[in-house]
Amino acid sequence: MATAIASSSSSLIFFSTSLSSYSLSPLQRISLSSTSHHSLSSSLSISPSFLALSAKSPRRAVSSFSPSFAVRAEKKNVLVVNTNSGGHAVIGFYFAKELLAAGHGVTILTVGEEGSDKMKKPPFNRFSEIVGAGGKTVWGEPADIGKVLEGATFDVVLDNNGKDLDTVRPVADWAKSSGVKQFLFISSAGIYKPTDEPPHVEGDTVKADAGHVGVEKYISETFGNWASFRPQYMIGSGNNKDCEEWFFDRIVRGRPVLIPGSGMQLTNIAHVRDLSSMLTLAVEKPEAASGNIFNCVSDRAVTLDGMAKLCAQAAGLPVEIVHYDPKAVGIDAKKAFPFRNMHFYAEPRAAKEILGWTGTTNLTVDLKERFDEYVKIGRDKKEIKFETDDKILAALKVPVAV
Amino acid sequence: MASMVVVQHKQPSSTILSSSLSDFNGARLTASVQPKGALRVTASSSKKILIMGGTRFIGLFLSRLLVKEGHQVTLFTRGKAPIAQQLPGEPDSEFSDFASKILHLKGDRKDFDFVKSSLSAEGFDVVYDINGREADEVEPILDALPNLEQYIYCSSAGVYLKSDYLPHFETDAVDPKSRHKGKLETESLLASRDVNWTSIRPVYIYGPLNYNPVEEWFFHRLKAGRPIPIPNSGMQVTQLGHVKDLATAFIKVLGNEKASKEVFNISGEKYVTFDGLAKACAKAGGFPEPEIIHYNPKEFDFGKKKPFPFRDQVNKLALNLINEAQNGMLIDSLSDDHYVSIVYDECSISLPRLRRQRVCSRLKPEFDLVEGLTDSYNLDFGRGTFRKEADFSTDDIILGKSLVLQS
Repeated sequence: MATAIASSSSSLIFFSTSLSSYSLSPLQRISLSSTSHHSLSSSLSISPSFLALSAKSPRRAVSSFSPSFAVRAEKKNVLVVNTNSGGHAVIGFYFAKELLAAGHGVTILTVGEEGSDKMKKPPFNRFSEIVGAGGKTVWGEPADIGKVLEGATFDVVLDNNGKDLDTVRPVADWAKSSGVKQFLFISSAGIYKPTDEPPHVEGDTVKADAGHVGVEKYISETFGNWASFRPQYMIGSGNNKDCEEWFFDRIVRGRPVLIPGSGMQLTNIAHVRDLSSMLTLAVEKPEAASGNIFNCVSDRAVTLDGMAKLCAQAAGLPVEIVHYDPKAVGIDAKKAFPFRNMHFYAEPRAAKEILGWTGTTNLTVDLKERFDEYVKIGRDKKEIKFETDDKILAALKVPVAV
Repeated sequence: MASMVVVQHKQPSSTILSSSLSDFNGARLTASVQPKGALRVTASSSKKILIMGGTRFIGLFLSRLLVKEGHQVTLFTRGKAPIAQQLPGEPDSEFSDFASKILHLKGDRKDFDFVKSSLSAEGFDVVYDINGREADEVEPILDALPNLEQYIYCSSAGVYLKSDYLPHFETDAVDPKSRHKGKLETESLLASRDVNWTSIRPVYIYGPLNYNPVEEWFFHRLKAGRPIPIPNSGMQVTQLGHVKDLATAFIKVLGNEKASKEVFNISGEKYVTFDGLAKACAKAGGFPEPEIIHYNPKEFDFGKKKPFPFRDQVNKLALNLINEAQNGMLIDSLSDDHYVSIVYDECSISLPRLRRQRVCSRLKPEFDLVEGLTDSYNLDFGRGTFRKEADFSTDDIILGKSLVLQS
């Protein structure tokens, strides 16, 4: 029978669902996190949804001034060039839907062919939601982008596909020549040089030879208005790549969760809606966004151990965490574990400062929703082989409950 | 640094501004008498300030900043340490100016009757409570000073409930059972009383004259050319803030309407791993890159001695919402609306919609970690001063076993 063994001194608190074990600060604030706040915002106005309700004096309640101060952002025609696989695929999906809901025009160009097997997976198998909301979906090769789009023009382009300049250049060049005003790029927080002083903040040194760096440089030289977004890991319905599922797979089957190293490594796991809202803000505040790098992540870190515990909490199940040294066990941690075996943690300081962005990711709540879907699609009953896990456990000589 | 106008003439401690005092960043206020509460007197007027404590660490720097700003500053201490001690690197002229102005109220803050009577006899506009630990210590102060403009309290980020989800923001849950519960109870008391309070929650504080052997622990080993034993992986993360940046933060909340009944986490902009801290200390002191030895503390018996200055856990990381000017923006817009709504609600004088001075502008630290540790080294350890003698006994226990932990 598996039991919960917390690997750090932090407790079984993750077990308790009652609030009696801690008290709320008297200063608890409730911020109105409106997912559609951006539709009212512009660089001039103050959206009431930015105001925080405070537990203090009643005078500090939400102002009731007329929202006529708010200026509706002008409608933009946005092109998303989207990768056909991998962790970033879902970004374009959420972004497209959010833009459409805000009244903008959206075309999503997915790399490859509409009939390919890749399109059977999420988020692509849900593209009807984009079309249903008034968006256009096309397929093709970025190198032929002008032809693929048949002369259509756009105000804004987001390249959510290329990892190097060879792939992005044709898109950038076409965008420039067709009069695109704002060029946005999904880069990666993986380009930051590892540091002893987390978090990675915008402006920190990056690895000079990283493909994304070459792209950022090129677009900064090519466009008057450009911005680059550096994400980390994401959860969210429609994700093309496993994230939390890796933990759920083991937790529901009563298998130990194998984490390389100390488990204290910090990482950043965001709900993709946070990335989408940041991108949307950039579209609606182009002057503010222009010329900037944005860490496209949630505003909190979680340790690897912490993620395992939060997943267990979401599942309402215990978790056994086992740490191991990949070298000693003779395993490539990259193949055995879905997150980097180091502190890999960026903070979204530029977005907060420059765009007035707020994060809404709350893993405690969001993972619950993810787990519900995990069960709904029957993945908890799926037959899964854990060959690499078993190999590690054998090397550690840890018994596994069958 | 905050830009504040220091007004030389004596300002009565009321919240009504006369038209003669008007220049805030050039925006002249045209209305003559402002209704009470609509516009507070800001830190630009000289105040009578009491610091509880002030002779040990934070207070040394804070008191000087306050005196330089033109305030009348009194330190409430038992008198065990001299009221004015020249700081390393402090020019003689500056020190003598400070020493001539700083005042002393001698007493034991645990003697509540004395606190109440002496404070009410004196009367103070603002209290900085730097050394308070328990809520009952605060009551006599509040009772003695019913017209107190602001109570500024040095709390601790230690009050946050441990979380796997970091950093802590000021809105996070707190732990009523923590070691720092006295701080928490004090904050609750302040919130429950009708007083304008501000609470500052630092994480780990460092800097010259640190009485807590944090950087000093590393410097001793670096100077002796010894390896640095760090428990477990060395990847544990913590956060340090320079004492001068903390003192500056304390100044910025003085007379600041945006700080009213608010809590602020104050610490450095970045976190640091234990290994990283060892390396940063080496850089600060001009030492070569240190040899770091990891060990499993469970395999040793150190008796009562602490083998390492930090607790071996995922340490507190605390970010202040103000530290990121999103909240600067939030607060600007909040104060604009808020200012507008207060004016309309309270007095229906239509004041021009000024972009008020960003009174709580980004509390951005001056020092990054290596700069701050260098400052500490140059002004303290590097001059041959430290609080605790080097004690390598626990190191020798660890090194004797010559165990290197597999990470």
